[in-house]
Amino acid sequence: MVTTTQTKELSTWTNVFSTAKGAIYQSDEERCWYVDFAGKVAKFDYRCLLKLKKAVYHVDIEDRLLNSGKSPDVEIIFICACDHTYVLSLLQIIALKEILEGTFVMFELNHIIQDTLYRLPY
Amino acid sequence: MKDLIRIKSLISAEVEALLNQQVKKEAYSSSVYLAMASWCNRNGYDFSSEYFFKQAEEERMHQLKFYKYILDMGGNAISPEVTGIKQEYNSFREVFEEALDQEISVTQSIKNIYARCLKEQDFVTNEFLNWFLKEQREEEYKARRALELFEVIGEEGTGRWQIDKHVGGIKYDSEA
Repeated sequence: MVTTTQTKELSTWTNVFSTAKGAIYQSDEERCWYVDFAGKVAKFDYRCLLKLKKAVYHVDIEDRLLNSGKSPDVEIIFICACDHTYVLSLLQIIALKEILEGTFVMFELNHIIQDTLYRLPY
Repeated sequence: MKDLIRIKSLISAEVEALLNQQVKKEAYSSSVYLAMASWCNRNGYDFSSEYFFKQAEEERMHQLKFYKYILDMGGNAISPEVTGIKQEYNSFREVFEEALDQEISVTQSIKNIYARCLKEQDFVTNEFLNWFLKEQREEEYKARRALELFEVIGEEGTGRWQIDKHVGGIKYDSEA
């Protein structure tokens, strides 16, 4: 499920990864993520976040950069079964990809930390 | 911060993608065997046709095993698109040569997933794959044995008829 929210409840969210262009927060309470990007904060559940990642990674940035055709420099990130769409420029795609890459690295790091601190010692 | 990704799924995104690729490979194998069964039947090799029908069913069963494992572990199983199945063969022998090639490619692919799981220390999936590794011993043995029949019986005279008759009797019953 994806919903858009205007307010950032930063007190209960954890900043997973952020850049100057945007950020992704995790809400442990709601078991979801908030993507703060392109002027809005959108709520993503597990499945939708993976679909967003797949859709953004799927854009062939190099091909777009080399393409000298007349098609507009705009990419529509449509996520199936999610009531949310992004219409982004190529620069925004690059920025969102950077945020997602950082986020998933942080997830892996968090997984290692959880294992080391809580799962394995007991 | 909770480890939400791990809570949702036991397998990593990379292993999930490889397993889905394997689902597709098994589906492709099943369709290839079905085409082989049809070719053998049309050309009068009834025992071989029956053998390939059974193989097609086995590959389908393997596909479902992978499919259900992905779902059970919290992943997203993708129903594969299967295209480009060869329908015609130049000779009886070519059918069996391609059947062995197909099995070798499946074994290599499973070994590749196994290596990835070892790297990630995903021993749960490794354990799941053990069954398939053992199964591949049988599959490759049967395909290789069928080709061997062409050597020991020979295709001359009623050779192909003899080979067809013996293909139906190929069994692998090693307890090792």
